[in-house]
Amino acid sequence: MEIRPILSALSRNRTGALLIATQVALTLAIISNAASVIRDRLALSERPSGVTDEASLLTARPILNARTDLAALIRADLAGLAALPGVRAVTVTNQLPMGRSGWSLTFSAGREESAVSTNASYTFDGGGLLETLGLRLIEGRRFEAAEVRELDPEQSAEPPREALVTAALARHLFRDEGPWVGRVFYSGNGPQAGELRIVGVVERLTTPWGLAGEEDAYTVIVPQRFLNSYNYYVMRVEPGAEAAVRTAIDEVLTRNEPDRVNTGIYSVQELRERRYRNEKSVAWLLVSVTVFLLLVTASGIVGMASLWVNLRRKQIGVRRALGATRADILRYFLTENLLITSGGVLAGVLAARLLNQLLVRELSVPALPWDFLAVGVACLFVLGLAAALGPALRASRLSPALATRSV
Amino acid sequence: MIGYYFRLGFHQLRRAPVLTLLIVLTLAVGVAASMSTLTVLYVMSGDPIPQKSERLLTPQINNYPVDGGPQDGNLPTLLSWTDVRNLREDGRGQRRSGLYGISGILYPERDGLKNFFVDGVAVDADFFAMMDAPFREGRGWSAAEDSAEARVAVLGTQLARKLFGEGPAVGQEVRVDEQRYRVVGVLDRFSPVPKFYRLDGSSRAGAGEDELFIPLSTAIAIEKDVDGTVSCFQQTGPGFQGRLASECVWLRYWVELGSASERSDYEAYLQAYVAEQKTQGRLPRADARAIARDVREWLVEVGVVDDDVRLQFWLAFGFLFVCLVNTVGLLLAKFTARAADVGVRRALGATRGQIFLQYLSEAAALGLAGSVVGIAGVFGLLRLLASQSPDLEAYAQMDAVMLVTTVLVSVLAAILAGLLPTWRATRVLPAVQLKTQ
Amino acid sequence: MLQMDEVQKIYRTDLVQTYALRSLSLRVAEGEFVAVTGPSGSGKTTFLNIAGLLETFDGGRYQLDGEDVSRLSDTARSRLRNIKIGFIFQSFNLIPDLDVYDNVDVPLRYRGMDGGERRRRILAALERVGLASRLRHLPSQLSGGQQQRVAIARALAGSPRILFADEPTGNLDSLMAREVMGMLEEINAQGTTIVMVTHDAELARRVHRNIHIMDGQVSDLRQPLAA
Repeated sequence: MEIRPILSALSRNRTGALLIATQVALTLAIISNAASVIRDRLALSERPSGVTDEASLLTARPILNARTDLAALIRADLAGLAALPGVRAVTVTNQLPMGRSGWSLTFSAGREESAVSTNASYTFDGGGLLETLGLRLIEGRRFEAAEVRELDPEQSAEPPREALVTAALARHLFRDEGPWVGRVFYSGNGPQAGELRIVGVVERLTTPWGLAGEEDAYTVIVPQRFLNSYNYYVMRVEPGAEAAVRTAIDEVLTRNEPDRVNTGIYSVQELRERRYRNEKSVAWLLVSVTVFLLLVTASGIVGMASLWVNLRRKQIGVRRALGATRADILRYFLTENLLITSGGVLAGVLAARLLNQLLVRELSVPALPWDFLAVGVACLFVLGLAAALGPALRASRLSPALATRSV
Repeated sequence: MIGYYFRLGFHQLRRAPVLTLLIVLTLAVGVAASMSTLTVLYVMSGDPIPQKSERLLTPQINNYPVDGGPQDGNLPTLLSWTDVRNLREDGRGQRRSGLYGISGILYPERDGLKNFFVDGVAVDADFFAMMDAPFREGRGWSAAEDSAEARVAVLGTQLARKLFGEGPAVGQEVRVDEQRYRVVGVLDRFSPVPKFYRLDGSSRAGAGEDELFIPLSTAIAIEKDVDGTVSCFQQTGPGFQGRLASECVWLRYWVELGSASERSDYEAYLQAYVAEQKTQGRLPRADARAIARDVREWLVEVGVVDDDVRLQFWLAFGFLFVCLVNTVGLLLAKFTARAADVGVRRALGATRGQIFLQYLSEAAALGLAGSVVGIAGVFGLLRLLASQSPDLEAYAQMDAVMLVTTVLVSVLAAILAGLLPTWRATRVLPAVQLKTQ
Repeated sequence: MLQMDEVQKIYRTDLVQTYALRSLSLRVAEGEFVAVTGPSGSGKTTFLNIAGLLETFDGGRYQLDGEDVSRLSDTARSRLRNIKIGFIFQSFNLIPDLDVYDNVDVPLRYRGMDGGERRRRILAALERVGLASRLRHLPSQLSGGQQQRVAIARALAGSPRILFADEPTGNLDSLMAREVMGMLEEINAQGTTIVMVTHDAELARRVHRNIHIMDGQVSDLRQPLAA
């Protein structure tokens, strides 16, 4: 409708309009980037670990540094835990996805210096790891119980010869789509690097650290029980039996060796929550910044629109006297607001891109996808209209008789 | 006169209460968000030991194998036992200490107390004096006890209280794993933030107090296992002895110089040390070198302030900026509504300068009110940050400097936001406003 | 053209009711130029607001151009104001943010005319008041007399059947006042009915008929009184 006259009226009252447009632009720039960080962090914290049904996989890590027969103790613990009602499978390993501490080694595709090489999580299968964790084998075979050796670090540092790898690691090392079974890779990347042969490929198993990229799924599994006191016992529990099993685990472990300290029983789901607490807290902080920002901007628009209505009471009366209907007045103020918001949004899209470039460069923030920007734009238009609606409605209810009043 | 303007300003706060409230809240929210993240950043990048941070150095030595380990030119953030042992024996600097993280199960002799897990650190005798660690009871061990590999320990305040209550701890014994130690001292709240002496870049940690300190030489002698990062780039021999002989890195080393000016000498010594080691067949890389970093440089190297903290900080200040723009608008509304007041004052002989001062004082008064609400908000947000993320707990602490800064930022923000509306208010012509009354 | 029968207007507050108009009855024939006079507070402005459909009333009947407007909705009344009525105010009431052209354009836009027609009418109306050369001036750049002429052009552009003028010369010096009055007489001569509220006795004497309002009623006096 009457866009040109509104624009020319606006151009004579620039300050307020510019303030609102600036605010809209900054808000758009901040919230669209914040939203993209929020999604990035939440997506990071929700990546599959390869473990099925994380809530029913319990882990316990009893610690004892005294020199006892660890091999026998582990065997007794495993037998005791497996016998618990409600426990379907049990295994012992050195680390778990999202457990936040563990082993990492360098692996490479060849011994020459130019060979592809990367760090990968180095996980021990103390027998039945795949069954207990519910890992999916996509190629080759799993380790048999007989292959699992008991390795005392005080006696031997002899490396294993066979390994399972995750598909992501195999793809990275060999730069192809398989099949990978039977192929050889190396632990280390020098002339004396140890040789490992792939006997099976696991679809996915993530690292204890929750790394940012695809590296998080680089895992090598070797069949051994490492005889130190920092192992995890991992139990697959029947649905519903979880609470009962938790207390029973403590009893078994204390009975087998009363001196040790159990550092707590956590399901893999709980490990996930602990690992990604910081990501979640960043996400929630950004959510609250976004909400407050929208509130502040809305309050700014309400304030400014109210001021404009108050300053133009007389003018509104005159317009009404000259034949403007209530709807005309409402439309006038909403259109005016829409024009200001549009200006702000236009500048805001630009500002959002610039801010994003800066953040990507300086703070390893993900690139801003266009659909986020589009949602942000829609949000601000709705916010602008909603905020201006109140003052505009008040304006439309002003009496035309204001035109004949002298003040 | 300023006093008069401030009185006017505070009087005006009570008029148009909704608008006043909106302005105060907008300022408060902006200030709370920005100052709470600034506080975290400030504490994180603060100097944990300002009196000697320039004299405390930690060396980094490139002992990577030729064809293993990272090729990006960065040095390892930890040291091998070989290097730490050599540096200690060379004895450069005023004081020196190697260190590595240990942990173990403590077997309390007090009734009703179950075995529990303790974190600690193995250090040399000089450590406590170097770090200005205050003792509540007793003292550190002596150099003689160091070389004798004495089974002695220094406890943190909380551990001592847990084990021995309010009674004396010195002279008592504690059993950790299979080893008994004689307590020689108890520290009095020793927790530098960040815990720079242990940081190795592997986590944001460095929060919380270390509870157990034992001599490094003792720890090596009893083969106390490492609790912390161990990085190896070659196959090693078995067991603890295998690790001691290897080029795996897992220790830190700190040296205290008599003055910061001795630093270049120390760095020259490190270069000479690298050259000397090369003649013995160690440090095989062609570009092998050693550098020393002081405390502040070290905190930057290990990245205490991570990208997330910076992101929060910048977003919070963007937020403050939006609040500022919003305040400009609201003040504009507040002042415009009182154009008549300006007209009357101008007609009564007020100069533009006087009007300017009056209205700016009002903006400042609003800023002061905003800072009061804002400080409450900062405390709330810091508590929220600490509860959301345990890593941040040690950093989410407000001190006097930040308190004053918060008030200043708020008032300054309000004055800044008040400039444009105030300038516009001074443009009101005295005559025009009187006529329409 | 305009017929009011026993029109009442009551202003209510919580405590008191005030009659702004007690029982006003009057007629204005088509083509007449009528002056409404009366002392301050007599109900002149209320009469104008009701006659110009700016306010509703509480009792009685009001027919404008043969149409009963007592029960019309707000929107219908807006439409009527837009099409049949022109207003001229004491303080001109130009919209300060809009230039001369856009000010005259305001009522035409509300009528939803196409651009060509609007342009033709605006130019014709401004021509008629002698301001065709000032299209892009802002009200603040014009003298009082020029502003009132723009207001007249704005009132005329919509070809109203009836023109309400509220103290049209009140803010003008005598020279400009005569000029504006001459313009109104000319408009009336071309067939537009004019109702002018004024307390200027000299102006009142120049029109066809005077209606004197006192205490919210048309006073019985047939002849105009000196105010």
